[in-house]
Amino acid sequence: MAIYDVKQLLDRYDSGYLIVDFNHPFIASTLREEIWLLEHRDDSAMLEGIAQAAAAFQIAPVDKDRDIDTYSGGEKVILACLLMLAVIRARRVGGIKLLLSNVIDSLSENNREILLEKFHQSASDLGLRLFVGGNHSIEEIDLEHEHTARNLSR
Amino acid sequence: MKRSTWNMNIQRGTYPVEDRGLRFELAADLSPGVGTSCVWIRGENGLGKTTFLERVVIARLKADGIDYLYVGQDIRTQIYTLRAMLSVRGHHVFGTDEKELFRLWIGQSPTARVLILDEFDKYFQDYRFVFDWSRAFIQTYIVVSHAGHQRMFPSEDRLAVHPVLFTASGYDGGVKRVRILLEQPWSF
Repeated sequence: MAIYDVKQLLDRYDSGYLIVDFNHPFIASTLREEIWLLEHRDDSAMLEGIAQAAAAFQIAPVDKDRDIDTYSGGEKVILACLLMLAVIRARRVGGIKLLLSNVIDSLSENNREILLEKFHQSASDLGLRLFVGGNHSIEEIDLEHEHTARNLSR
Repeated sequence: MKRSTWNMNIQRGTYPVEDRGLRFELAADLSPGVGTSCVWIRGENGLGKTTFLERVVIARLKADGIDYLYVGQDIRTQIYTLRAMLSVRGHHVFGTDEKELFRLWIGQSPTARVLILDEFDKYFQDYRFVFDWSRAFIQTYIVVSHAGHQRMFPSEDRLAVHPVLFTASGYDGGVKRVRILLEQPWSF
Protein backbone atom coordinates (compact mmCIF):
# COMPACT_ATOMS: atom_id res chain seq x y z
CA MET A 1 0.00 0.00 0.00
CA ALA A 2 1.10 3.55 -0.53
CA ILE A 3 -0.08 7.10 -0.77
CA TYR A 4 -1.55 7.19 -4.21
CA ASP A 5 -0.76 9.91 -6.61
CA VAL A 6 -4.09 10.70 -8.21
CA LYS A 7 -2.51 11.51 -11.57
CA GLN A 8 -0.76 8.15 -11.66
CA LEU A 9 -3.98 6.52 -10.54
CA LEU A 10 -5.91 8.13 -13.38
CA ASP A 11 -3.17 7.48 -15.95
CA ARG A 12 -3.25 3.81 -15.12
CA TYR A 13 -6.90 3.08 -14.45
CA ASP A 14 -9.21 5.78 -15.75
CA SER A 15 -9.89 4.02 -19.04
CA GLY A 16 -11.43 1.04 -17.33
CA TYR A 17 -12.49 2.05 -13.83
CA LEU A 18 -14.67 4.53 -12.02
CA ILE A 19 -12.41 5.73 -9.21
CA VAL A 20 -13.31 6.96 -5.72
CA ASP A 21 -10.18 8.26 -3.99
CA PHE A 22 -10.13 9.17 -0.30
CA ASN A 23 -8.10 12.31 -0.91
CA HIS A 24 -10.35 13.61 -3.70
CA PRO A 25 -13.90 12.41 -3.07
CA PHE A 26 -15.69 15.57 -4.29
CA ILE A 27 -15.14 18.47 -6.65
CA ALA A 28 -17.99 20.71 -5.53
CA SER A 29 -18.51 22.11 -2.05
CA THR A 30 -21.95 20.62 -1.35
CA LEU A 31 -23.70 17.37 -2.21
CA ARG A 32 -26.36 19.27 -4.17
CA GLU A 33 -23.72 20.94 -6.32
CA GLU A 34 -21.88 17.67 -6.86
CA ILE A 35 -25.07 16.08 -8.16
CA TRP A 36 -25.60 19.09 -10.41
CA LEU A 37 -22.12 18.61 -11.88
CA LEU A 38 -22.79 14.95 -12.59
CA GLU A 39 -26.41 15.21 -13.73
CA HIS A 40 -26.37 18.76 -15.16
CA ARG A 41 -29.47 19.60 -13.17
CA ASP A 42 -30.86 19.69 -9.67
CA ASP A 43 -31.98 16.18 -8.87
CA SER A 44 -33.91 16.20 -5.63
CA ALA A 45 -34.95 12.55 -6.03
CA MET A 46 -31.32 11.46 -6.21
CA LEU A 47 -30.46 13.65 -3.26
CA GLU A 48 -33.32 12.17 -1.25
CA GLY A 49 -32.24 8.65 -2.19
CA ILE A 50 -28.70 9.31 -1.00
CA ALA A 51 -29.95 10.81 2.26
CA GLN A 52 -32.13 7.74 2.84
CA ALA A 53 -29.26 5.36 2.04
CA ALA A 54 -26.95 7.34 4.33
CA ALA A 55 -29.40 6.93 7.22
CA ALA A 56 -28.39 3.25 7.39
CA PHE A 57 -24.87 4.29 8.37
CA GLN A 58 -23.82 5.55 11.74
CA ILE A 59 -23.17 9.07 10.50
CA ALA A 60 -24.81 12.46 10.84
CA PRO A 61 -27.98 13.16 8.81
CA VAL A 62 -27.22 14.37 5.29
CA ASP A 63 -27.87 17.99 4.46
CA LYS A 64 -27.80 18.83 0.76
CA ASP A 65 -26.28 22.27 1.31
CA ARG A 66 -23.84 21.42 4.08
CA ASP A 67 -20.22 22.26 3.25
CA ILE A 68 -18.58 18.98 2.25
CA ASP A 69 -15.47 19.87 4.22
CA THR A 70 -17.43 19.85 7.47
CA TYR A 71 -18.11 16.12 7.10
CA SER A 72 -15.48 13.79 8.51
CA GLY A 73 -13.15 11.90 6.16
CA GLY A 74 -15.14 8.69 6.60
CA GLU A 75 -18.48 10.44 6.10
CA LYS A 76 -17.20 12.04 2.89
CA VAL A 77 -16.22 8.77 1.28
CA ILE A 78 -19.48 7.10 2.34
CA LEU A 79 -21.38 9.92 0.61
CA ALA A 80 -19.10 9.72 -2.43
CA CYS A 81 -19.75 5.98 -2.75
CA LEU A 82 -23.51 6.42 -2.32
CA LEU A 83 -23.46 9.15 -4.95
CA MET A 84 -21.60 6.90 -7.40
CA LEU A 85 -24.08 4.09 -6.77
CA ALA A 86 -26.99 6.48 -7.28
CA VAL A 87 -25.60 7.75 -10.59
CA ILE A 88 -24.86 4.23 -11.82
CA ARG A 89 -28.39 3.19 -10.88
CA ALA A 90 -30.01 6.28 -12.42
CA ARG A 91 -28.26 5.65 -15.72
CA ARG A 92 -28.73 1.89 -15.53
CA VAL A 93 -25.09 1.31 -16.44
CA GLY A 94 -24.21 -2.35 -16.17
CA GLY A 95 -20.84 -3.94 -15.46
CA ILE A 96 -19.14 -0.87 -13.97
CA LYS A 97 -15.76 -1.55 -12.38
CA LEU A 98 -15.51 0.68 -9.30
CA LEU A 99 -12.05 1.23 -7.83
CA LEU A 100 -11.86 2.42 -4.21
CA SER A 101 -8.53 3.99 -3.32
CA ASN A 102 -7.78 4.33 0.42
CA VAL A 103 -11.50 4.24 1.17
CA ILE A 104 -12.28 0.98 2.97
CA ASP A 105 -9.71 1.45 5.77
CA SER A 106 -11.18 4.85 6.61
CA LEU A 107 -14.46 3.27 7.70
CA SER A 108 -15.48 1.75 11.00
CA GLU A 109 -16.27 -1.95 10.90
CA ASN A 110 -20.03 -1.29 11.03
CA ASN A 111 -19.96 1.26 8.24
CA ARG A 112 -17.66 -0.91 6.12
CA GLU A 113 -20.11 -3.80 6.32
CA ILE A 114 -23.08 -1.61 5.45
CA LEU A 115 -21.22 -0.13 2.47
CA LEU A 116 -20.14 -3.55 1.18
CA GLU A 117 -23.77 -4.66 1.43
CA LYS A 118 -24.80 -1.67 -0.72
CA PHE A 119 -22.20 -2.66 -3.29
CA HIS A 120 -23.43 -6.23 -3.16
CA GLN A 121 -26.95 -5.08 -4.04
CA SER A 122 -25.62 -3.23 -7.07
CA ALA A 123 -23.47 -6.19 -8.03
CA SER A 124 -26.60 -8.35 -8.10
CA ASP A 125 -28.73 -5.81 -9.99
CA LEU A 126 -26.25 -4.17 -12.30
CA GLY A 127 -23.19 -6.40 -12.45
CA LEU A 128 -21.06 -3.87 -10.55
CA ARG A 129 -17.57 -5.11 -9.69
CA LEU A 130 -15.56 -3.66 -6.82
CA PHE A 131 -11.80 -3.23 -6.66
CA VAL A 132 -9.49 -1.80 -4.01
CA GLY A 133 -5.88 -0.69 -4.31
CA GLY A 134 -3.99 1.88 -6.30
CA ASN A 135 -0.89 2.70 -8.26
CA HIS A 136 1.00 -0.51 -7.78
CA SER A 137 -1.70 -3.14 -7.69
CA ILE A 138 -5.40 -3.58 -7.28
CA GLU A 139 -7.53 -6.53 -6.25
CA GLU A 140 -11.16 -7.40 -6.73
CA ILE A 141 -13.42 -7.81 -3.72
CA ASP A 142 -15.55 -10.94 -3.91
CA LEU A 143 -18.83 -9.25 -2.95
CA GLU A 144 -20.83 -12.49 -2.98
CA HIS A 145 -18.38 -14.18 -0.63
CA GLU A 146 -18.31 -11.14 1.67
CA HIS A 147 -22.12 -11.05 1.69
CA THR A 148 -22.35 -14.72 2.64
CA ALA A 149 -19.72 -14.33 5.35
CA ARG A 150 -21.62 -11.38 6.83
CA ASN A 151 -24.87 -13.35 6.92
CA LEU A 152 -23.18 -16.33 8.53
CA SER A 153 -21.65 -14.19 11.26
CA ARG A 154 -25.00 -12.68 12.24
CA MET B 1 17.81 11.23 23.39
CA LYS B 2 14.49 11.90 24.97
CA ARG B 3 12.98 11.43 28.35
CA SER B 4 11.65 14.11 30.50
CA THR B 5 9.13 14.25 33.24
CA TRP B 6 6.53 15.76 30.94
CA ASN B 7 3.29 13.86 30.96
CA MET B 8 0.46 14.69 28.60
CA ASN B 9 -2.62 15.29 30.67
CA ILE B 10 -5.97 16.13 29.16
CA GLN B 11 -8.31 16.45 32.05
CA ARG B 12 -11.68 14.78 32.22
CA GLY B 13 -14.51 17.10 31.46
CA THR B 14 -16.52 18.66 28.67
CA TYR B 15 -14.90 20.14 25.59
CA PRO B 16 -17.31 22.00 23.32
CA VAL B 17 -16.28 22.72 19.73
CA GLU B 18 -19.22 24.85 18.73
CA ASP B 19 -18.27 25.64 15.14
CA ARG B 20 -18.17 21.90 14.40
CA GLY B 21 -21.40 21.16 16.27
CA LEU B 22 -19.62 18.83 18.69
CA ARG B 23 -19.34 18.49 22.43
CA PHE B 24 -16.82 16.00 23.77
CA GLU B 25 -17.33 14.48 27.17
CA LEU B 26 -14.04 13.00 28.31
CA ALA B 27 -14.86 10.44 30.97
CA ALA B 28 -11.46 10.35 32.66
CA ASP B 29 -8.09 12.09 32.51
CA LEU B 30 -6.21 11.16 29.35
CA SER B 31 -2.75 10.83 30.83
CA PRO B 32 -0.65 8.07 29.30
CA GLY B 33 2.38 8.61 31.54
CA VAL B 34 6.05 9.33 31.01
CA GLY B 35 6.99 5.98 29.46
CA THR B 36 6.70 5.32 25.75
CA SER B 37 3.07 4.70 25.03
CA CYS B 38 0.42 4.59 22.35
CA VAL B 39 -2.98 6.22 22.66
CA TRP B 40 -5.13 4.27 20.22
CA ILE B 41 -8.29 6.12 19.21
CA ARG B 42 -11.21 4.47 17.48
CA GLY B 43 -14.94 4.97 16.99
CA GLU B 44 -17.61 5.33 14.35
CA ASN B 45 -17.14 7.74 11.47
CA GLY B 46 -18.24 11.30 12.09
CA LEU B 47 -17.77 11.38 15.86
CA GLY B 48 -15.09 14.04 15.68
CA LYS B 49 -11.93 12.01 16.24
CA THR B 50 -9.94 14.31 13.98
CA THR B 51 -11.58 17.41 15.49
CA PHE B 52 -10.65 16.16 18.97
CA LEU B 53 -7.03 15.75 17.86
CA GLU B 54 -6.84 19.18 16.30
CA ARG B 55 -8.90 21.21 18.73
CA VAL B 56 -8.27 19.51 22.06
CA VAL B 57 -5.09 17.40 21.96
CA ILE B 58 -2.97 19.71 19.81
CA ALA B 59 -4.32 22.74 21.67
CA ARG B 60 -3.09 21.10 24.91
CA LEU B 61 0.33 20.35 23.41
CA LYS B 62 0.68 23.93 22.22
CA ALA B 63 -0.33 25.27 25.62
CA ASP B 64 2.28 23.00 27.23
CA GLY B 65 4.93 24.04 24.71
CA ILE B 66 5.44 20.44 23.58
CA ASP B 67 6.76 19.79 20.06
CA TYR B 68 4.70 17.33 18.06
CA LEU B 69 4.46 15.77 14.62
CA TYR B 70 1.05 15.40 13.02
CA VAL B 71 0.20 13.36 9.94
CA GLY B 72 -3.36 14.22 8.92
CA GLN B 73 -5.92 12.14 7.09
CA ASP B 74 -5.71 14.03 3.81
CA ILE B 75 -2.10 13.15 3.43
CA ARG B 76 -1.85 13.75 -0.29
CA THR B 77 -1.77 17.51 0.24
CA GLN B 78 0.51 17.23 3.23
CA ILE B 79 3.06 15.34 1.17
CA TYR B 80 3.56 18.44 -0.99
CA THR B 81 4.14 20.50 2.14
CA LEU B 82 6.67 17.98 3.44
CA ARG B 83 8.48 18.02 0.14
CA ALA B 84 8.61 21.82 0.06
CA MET B 85 9.72 22.13 3.68
CA LEU B 86 12.47 19.54 3.33
CA SER B 87 13.64 21.11 0.08
CA VAL B 88 13.97 24.50 1.77
CA ARG B 89 16.08 22.83 4.43
CA GLY B 90 18.46 21.50 1.81
CA HIS B 91 17.27 17.94 1.39
CA HIS B 92 17.14 16.34 -2.01
CA VAL B 93 13.48 15.46 -2.44
CA PHE B 94 12.89 15.14 -6.17
CA GLY B 95 12.06 11.57 -6.99
CA THR B 96 12.21 10.67 -3.31
CA ASP B 97 9.57 8.12 -2.37
CA GLU B 98 7.08 8.69 0.40
CA LYS B 99 8.74 6.51 3.00
CA GLU B 100 12.01 8.37 2.55
CA LEU B 101 10.17 11.69 2.88
CA PHE B 102 8.76 10.57 6.21
CA ARG B 103 12.18 9.38 7.36
CA LEU B 104 13.72 12.77 6.57
CA TRP B 105 10.84 14.65 8.15
CA ILE B 106 10.89 12.62 11.35
CA GLY B 107 14.69 12.75 11.49
CA GLN B 108 14.79 16.54 11.40
CA SER B 109 12.39 16.83 14.35
CA PRO B 110 14.29 15.34 17.30
CA THR B 111 12.67 17.72 19.77
CA ALA B 112 9.21 16.27 19.10
CA ARG B 113 7.73 14.27 21.97
CA VAL B 114 4.38 13.38 20.42
CA LEU B 115 3.64 11.80 17.04
CA ILE B 116 0.04 11.86 15.84
CA LEU B 117 -1.08 9.62 12.98
CA ASP B 118 -4.67 9.97 11.79
CA GLU B 119 -5.63 6.82 9.87
CA PHE B 120 -2.14 6.42 8.51
CA ASP B 121 -2.88 2.73 7.98
CA LYS B 122 -5.03 3.62 5.00
CA TYR B 123 -1.77 4.16 3.19
CA PHE B 124 0.60 1.61 4.68
CA GLN B 125 -0.42 -1.87 5.77
CA ASP B 126 2.73 -2.07 7.85
CA TYR B 127 4.14 1.17 9.16
CA ARG B 128 6.52 0.00 11.82
CA PHE B 129 9.16 2.04 10.03
CA VAL B 130 7.60 5.16 11.57
CA PHE B 131 8.13 3.71 15.04
CA ASP B 132 11.66 2.59 14.23
CA TRP B 133 12.66 6.06 13.04
CA SER B 134 11.06 7.95 15.91
CA ARG B 135 11.37 5.77 18.99
CA ALA B 136 14.55 7.54 20.14
CA PHE B 137 12.67 10.73 20.96
CA ILE B 138 8.90 10.22 20.72
CA GLN B 139 7.26 9.57 24.06
CA THR B 140 3.59 9.41 23.16
CA TYR B 141 2.16 8.05 19.92
CA ILE B 142 -1.44 8.99 19.20
CA VAL B 143 -2.94 6.78 16.54
CA VAL B 144 -6.43 6.94 15.03
CA SER B 145 -7.17 3.62 13.41
CA HIS B 146 -10.15 1.43 12.62
CA ALA B 147 -7.83 -1.49 12.04
CA GLY B 148 -5.83 -1.45 15.26
CA HIS B 149 -2.37 -0.41 16.36
CA GLN B 150 -0.55 -3.66 15.61
CA ARG B 151 0.61 -2.54 12.21
CA MET B 152 2.87 0.04 13.78
CA PHE B 153 4.36 -1.48 16.87
CA PRO B 154 6.52 -4.59 16.75
CA SER B 155 5.38 -7.24 19.19
CA GLU B 156 8.80 -7.36 20.88
CA ASP B 157 8.39 -3.81 22.16
CA ARG B 158 6.42 -3.84 25.36
CA LEU B 159 4.56 -0.67 24.77
CA ALA B 160 1.76 0.60 27.00
CA VAL B 161 -1.40 0.93 24.91
CA HIS B 162 -4.21 3.22 26.03
CA PRO B 163 -7.37 2.43 24.05
CA VAL B 164 -9.78 5.31 23.66
CA LEU B 165 -13.29 4.79 22.32
CA PHE B 166 -15.51 7.55 20.90
CA THR B 167 -19.23 6.87 21.25
CA ALA B 168 -22.27 8.86 20.19
CA SER B 169 -24.21 10.17 23.15
CA GLY B 170 -27.11 11.88 21.40
CA TYR B 171 -27.90 15.40 20.33
CA ASP B 172 -28.44 18.44 22.47
CA GLY B 173 -30.01 21.34 20.60
CA GLY B 174 -28.30 20.37 17.34
CA VAL B 175 -24.95 19.72 19.02
CA LYS B 176 -23.64 16.18 18.77
CA ARG B 177 -22.57 14.86 22.15
CA VAL B 178 -19.66 12.45 21.99
CA ARG B 179 -18.59 10.48 25.01
CA ILE B 180 -14.92 9.54 25.09
CA LEU B 181 -14.24 6.42 27.10
CA LEU B 182 -10.80 5.37 28.30
CA GLU B 183 -10.58 1.61 28.35
CA GLN B 184 -8.19 -0.47 30.40
CA PRO B 185 -4.58 0.11 29.28
CA TRP B 186 -2.46 -2.89 28.48
CA SER B 187 1.06 -3.78 27.41
CA PHE B 188 1.88 -6.18 24.65
